[in-house]
Amino acid sequence: MYNKALPPAPTRVSQYGVGPKYVVKRGAELKNIVGVPLTDLVTGLPPVIFPGGSNDVAVIRKETEAALAKVDMSKITAGSTVNILASHHGFTFYGGQPYAEMLRTIKDVVEQRTGCKEVRLRAGLGMRFRETEEYIKAHGLDEYFHGKALGIAPIDAGIPIETELGTLFGLKKAYDADFIIHAHNSDVREVHFHRQVDRAVKPFGMSYARCETRSTYHMNLGPRAANFVARSIFESEFVQSKFAFACFLTMSPAGATGVDADTDLYALNDRVTVGGMRDYGKIMTLFGAIDECIVILDFPCPVPYVFACGVIYANMACANLDVFDLDYPLPPYTWYTETMYDDNGKPLIPEVPPVNPAIKTVVHNYAWIGYPSVFFAEKSPTIVVGKQQAELFDRDPMNLNYMKHALLADNLDGAMDFAYHTTGTRKVILFDGAASGLNVSEPLAEHLYKVAPGVMERVEQKLLPKWLAQRNVDPSLLDQVA
Amino acid sequence: MKTVRVQAQVDMELCQGCKTCQMVCPVYAIQVSRVDGKPQVNIDYDLCVGCWNCEQRCPDHAISMAPCEPFDLATDVSKFDYDEIHALCRKAHFHPKQLVCYCTATRAEEVAAAILDGASDPAQVVRACGVGSGCGIECNQPILRFLEAAGKTFERPKQSYQWYGRTATVWDVSDKVKKEHPGFRFDSDRDLLDSVVNAPIHNVKS
Repeated sequence: MYNKALPPAPTRVSQYGVGPKYVVKRGAELKNIVGVPLTDLVTGLPPVIFPGGSNDVAVIRKETEAALAKVDMSKITAGSTVNILASHHGFTFYGGQPYAEMLRTIKDVVEQRTGCKEVRLRAGLGMRFRETEEYIKAHGLDEYFHGKALGIAPIDAGIPIETELGTLFGLKKAYDADFIIHAHNSDVREVHFHRQVDRAVKPFGMSYARCETRSTYHMNLGPRAANFVARSIFESEFVQSKFAFACFLTMSPAGATGVDADTDLYALNDRVTVGGMRDYGKIMTLFGAIDECIVILDFPCPVPYVFACGVIYANMACANLDVFDLDYPLPPYTWYTETMYDDNGKPLIPEVPPVNPAIKTVVHNYAWIGYPSVFFAEKSPTIVVGKQQAELFDRDPMNLNYMKHALLADNLDGAMDFAYHTTGTRKVILFDGAASGLNVSEPLAEHLYKVAPGVMERVEQKLLPKWLAQRNVDPSLLDQVA
Repeated sequence: MKTVRVQAQVDMELCQGCKTCQMVCPVYAIQVSRVDGKPQVNIDYDLCVGCWNCEQRCPDHAISMAPCEPFDLATDVSKFDYDEIHALCRKAHFHPKQLVCYCTATRAEEVAAAILDGASDPAQVVRACGVGSGCGIECNQPILRFLEAAGKTFERPKQSYQWYGRTATVWDVSDKVKKEHPGFRFDSDRDLLDSVVNAPIHNVKS
């Protein structure tokens, strides 16, 4: 007997998605969907502080204050200007409340400790150039920062940064202060890109960087070498002269586990690396053990970023290969991989791994525009629910070809009937942001309960030691990370 | 190739004349000036590629994207000697059939053809084949790599935030960096990208 389906993450009003009224039915409302607590499947997860209990973000404030109490802020004086650098990703957890509260608390603590009155928020973003403006407004951050909260986009004014790789370009507004505070989140998220190499450093090559730098990362260096972009910027004289400290909301697939802060970003990075591989490595390897399934996308983010148990769909598309294993040069999805198919859809070289063949069909019930997503519709049969959503994709300059590869269904039930008939599988997994667990169909729940113990053992005994060794990370750190 | 179906339009009631739209336009289609203290915005619809940059960054929400008579941004690859296209692609370290723009599905061969057809700066390349008119981010460096490979130099207009310059590729990384940072596997990734550049060519359209 299984639990009833978990509540999915709510829809969100945004210019990048259809209005909530058009999301007529959520996947979790389908009659055969059940909720599987993550702790039933994944062993050794650290305790979660949010969500849970009263869901009061006061716990985030308390954890942030405790983490910052250990941080030396003596660089910052009453007359300094300080930019807290944030990213859109953090706002996608649990409605963004925990991340927003961490940002507020950093501001308050810095002001109290240093007397500084010029603390601003600069929130970077991906490809949806107003997305962080929406979050700033939704969380009242502009008022909290006294009108000094800004979304910063990769096409905004740039500033050259001299690095070991030559000149790269940051965003001028990110660095227009005496000091910067790097405020991020620790979940593995785009591990298909960063491969858990310098995870904590990545925003210096992305959220805080111009399009030239982002293109360098995704087009110029190769899938693993690309991670040096962020490191080279962070280690530049320019950034080092401004870097004050980093403060991270630490995450596990089950939720926020705490707040970590440090003036040594590489020390924090090691902790983030270890925790991410241990916790996310298990659930991602478990996803790789799914033999066949229908995926339902049902979360307010672009196609590759919709969540299940803290894992984004792009990682499900790569789950047929161990993306933590650096001996594999190329995951099934990266920007590099996408370039390596010819105009007939055939790989140019045999080393291109296929998109996870266990994904038999994708039902796109609710996912946003604002990220070039045609690759996913090209590589896995896709059914989009609702003409409003199809029209939105047709208008998006990044997705002009998405609907050329997708079918359109009037409603979710019709899409699911078609998916069941054409795939022959009854295994369904929802990427719907449900907290602390997974919404799946009963046959998939049964499969996951059966294979999970073996997967946990394989990760702990074989894979995790290999991943740690590949990154020269001290395994004893595992005991130090909650 | 891209079919343009929308172009920018300005609501002068909302426009404050801040010039953000002009600065973020990848093809220099917008000019903002002041006449008698009032902002004037001139959009050249022969240049606008419907990328949405101006709409997305206008701080006053004065710009919207309006439907237009559809037109294509495309260069016919078959007009050119494919050996020339191939040679330019190789020099820029691309396979001719490689995708260089995820948003418009533009491939390296079309970017090369656009340059052989006379495009000599990034804005002209965008207008010639649509590359760079979607997200405006990821294909930035491929465009600049192609122009450099073709020996084209250009000066970035001062009234623009676009096209700051070409950056390093894996073929440029110094031995010192490789030696000091072996964990980033520069040579292995270079080998991977080289294997793509050198892969056989099929499906040549003539």
